[in-house]
Amino acid sequence: MSILLVGVNHKTAPVEVRERLAFNDEACASGLRQLVDGEIVREGLIVSTCNRVEILGATSNDQLEFSAGRIAQFLDTSGSLPAGFLNAHLYSHTNEEAVRHLFRVASSLDSMVVGEPQVLGQVRHAYALGVEAGTVGRVLNRLVHHTFRVAKRVRNETGIAANAVSISYMAVELGKKIFSSLKGCSVMLIGAGEMAELSARHLVNAGAAHVTIANRTEETARQIAAEFGAATVPLDQLDQVLHEADVIICSTGAPDYVVTEARTRKALERRRNRPTCFIDISVPRNIDPAVSNIPNCFLFDIDDLESVITSNIREREREAERAELIVQSEVMQFQQKLRLMDIGPSIGALRQNMHDVARAELARQRKRLGPLTKDQEEAIESLLMSTVNKISHPLISQMRRLYESGESDAADIQKDLED
Amino acid sequence: MRSLLLAALAAYLIAAIHSILAFVNKRRSLQRVAEWSTAAGFILHTAALAADWVIDGHYPLFSLREALSFLGWALVALYSLVLYRYRTQAVGAFTMPLVSALTLLVLLIGTNSSNAPAAFSATWLFPIHTTLLIFAYAAFFIVFMASVMYLLQERELKLKTFGATFHRLPSLTTVNEIATSSAALGLTLLTLGIATGVIWSSSRFGRFWRNDPKEIFALLTWGLYFYLTIYRLTAHWRGRSAAWLGVVGFALVLLTFVGARFLGSYHVFG
Repeated sequence: MSILLVGVNHKTAPVEVRERLAFNDEACASGLRQLVDGEIVREGLIVSTCNRVEILGATSNDQLEFSAGRIAQFLDTSGSLPAGFLNAHLYSHTNEEAVRHLFRVASSLDSMVVGEPQVLGQVRHAYALGVEAGTVGRVLNRLVHHTFRVAKRVRNETGIAANAVSISYMAVELGKKIFSSLKGCSVMLIGAGEMAELSARHLVNAGAAHVTIANRTEETARQIAAEFGAATVPLDQLDQVLHEADVIICSTGAPDYVVTEARTRKALERRRNRPTCFIDISVPRNIDPAVSNIPNCFLFDIDDLESVITSNIREREREAERAELIVQSEVMQFQQKLRLMDIGPSIGALRQNMHDVARAELARQRKRLGPLTKDQEEAIESLLMSTVNKISHPLISQMRRLYESGESDAADIQKDLED
Repeated sequence: MRSLLLAALAAYLIAAIHSILAFVNKRRSLQRVAEWSTAAGFILHTAALAADWVIDGHYPLFSLREALSFLGWALVALYSLVLYRYRTQAVGAFTMPLVSALTLLVLLIGTNSSNAPAAFSATWLFPIHTTLLIFAYAAFFIVFMASVMYLLQERELKLKTFGATFHRLPSLTTVNEIATSSAALGLTLLTLGIATGVIWSSSRFGRFWRNDPKEIFALLTWGLYFYLTIYRLTAHWRGRSAAWLGVVGFALVLLTFVGARFLGSYHVFG
C-alpha cells in the first residue's frame, strides 16, 4: 500500500483559494464517500482548517499516480474551480514524504505560528470524520495513531509550544517570571478593552484568584466583571485598591498617564515592596515609564511585549529544529512499521516455521552423527539454516511482489500459510 | 578511599555536564541523567567519606583535603534539597561544576597533610562544630547562587532584554525564597557551629575567645547574615538589595573559610 497527501496550505495558496476549497463537516463526509471508491483511492480523510485543505489517501502501489490525479481533480470540482486551476497551488506528496508532511502538520511545525496547539485537535477531528464516513482503513488508522504519538512526543520533548507568542498571553508569561506561580495572584484591569479582557482570561486560567476592574464607564466594567466574578472600582478610587494587585493591565483611552510614579510609590509602600507587574497595552501609554525605576516594579509597554514575542519566536524556532529530528526518526519508524504491517508477520511466521522443521529433522538424525565438536555443531546448524533461507527466498520475494502489486493481501498470505 | 572518590568525581562530572546541557537546551531527559548521576555520585562520595573514617580512624573532617571533600558532599546534599523542594534545575548547572572542581582538588591534594591529633577525635563536640560549619558554608553558597540568579533575572526584566537567561532562569519569587530559606538555614547552622566551637574551646583551653582571625571573620559573617535575615523578615520584599548582601556575604564566607588561614589562624580548617 502507498500513502499520498494532496492539498494546499497557507504557504502555497492565498486565502481566496483556500476558502473555496474548505470543507465543513457535512461536505467532508459526503466528499469522502464520493472520493474513496476502494479501487483508485482505498482510504481517505480530509484535513480542512483555515490554513490548509489536505486530503490524505491510501492506495495500492500501482495506482499511486492515478490516485493523486484523482484527488486533485476532486479538489477542483469540489471547489468549483476550472480544471487545472489549482496546479500552481497544489502540492502532492507520496509515501515517506506524505508521512513526514502529516507528522509535521500535526506537530505544528507547518503552521503559520510554529507550535500553536489547535492543529492537533483539527487533525483529530478530521480523523473522527473519516472514521464516521467509513473511509479510514487499516493503513490510515495506523498512520493517524502514529501521528498523534509523534505530536505528543514533539510537545513533550521540545519546548516548541513553551513560550507565548501572543500579546494577550504575555501577561501570564511575564507574571510567571516574577511570581513562580500565578495561583492566588490578584489582577487589576485599568480600562476594559478587549485585549485586556483576553489577558485577564488567560491569567484566571493560569490560576489568578481575584480580578478587579477599574473603568471610566462603570456599566462596561460591570458587564465584564460579571464574566469573571470580578469586583469593580470607579477610576477615581484607584488609589484605594492599587496596592492589592500583583498584575496590573492598563488599556484605557486616556491621553496621559493614569498610573503615575507617585501613585505607584505609595501603593508599593502599602504592599510592603512585594513585586508588581505592570503591563501597559495602551497607546498613548497610560503608565508613566518612570514607574520602571521603582524597585520591584516591572513595567512592560506594548513594544516590550512585542520584543518578548520576537524572542519567544526565536526560542520556538530553535526548538523546531529539534522537533524536525524527532519527526525524521518517527517517519523512519513508521515506514518500517508499515512494511512489517504489510507482510512482516506472515513472512516471519513462515521463516520460523521452516526453521523449526529443519531443526526438528536435525534433532531426529542427530544421534546418527555421533559425537561432534562445538565447531562442527555450529557448521551443521548454519548449513541447515542457510539452505532453508536460500530455498525460501524466491518464495518470499514472490509473496512480497504479489502483495505490493495489490493482488494479494497480508490476510491472504496468512491464510495460504495456514492451509 | 581514592578509587571511590574517583568514581564519585566521574559521576559528578557527568552530572555537571548534563546539568549545563539541560540548562542550555531545557531537555528533561538530560536533567534526568543529571539527577541520577548526582545521586550516584553522592552515594559513592558518602561511601568514600565513611571509608576514610574507618581507615584513618578519625572523623573525616580535619585537614584541608577533608574539609574540601566534606564541603563538596554538603553542597550536593543541600542542592538535592533545593531541587526536591523547588524543582529549579538551573541550580544544578551552577552547583555541580563547583562540586566536581572541589572533588578534583581533593584528589589532587592526595593525602592528608596533617593528621588529626587524638585530642580532636577524642571529643564528640569538635566533629559537630566542624560539620555544622561546613553545612553553613554550603548553605551560604546556595544563598550566593540564588542571589546571583535573582540579580540576573531582575536585570533581564528591568532592561527587557529577554535573552537566553530570561527563558532559563527561575522566577524572581522562587530564587528569592531559596535565598531566604537558605540564609535562615545557614545562619542557624553558623550560630550552632560557633556555639559548639566556643564551648569546645573553653572546655579544652579554658578560653572561649582567642581573637583568632577566623573567629573574628566568623563573627562578622554571622553579623552579616543575621542582618540579612532580619532585613528580609522586617523590610518585607527587598529582593535586590538582599541579593547584593547575599553576594557580598559570600565573599566574607570565603575569607572566613580560606583567607583566615593566611592571616595566621590557629584553626586548621572547618
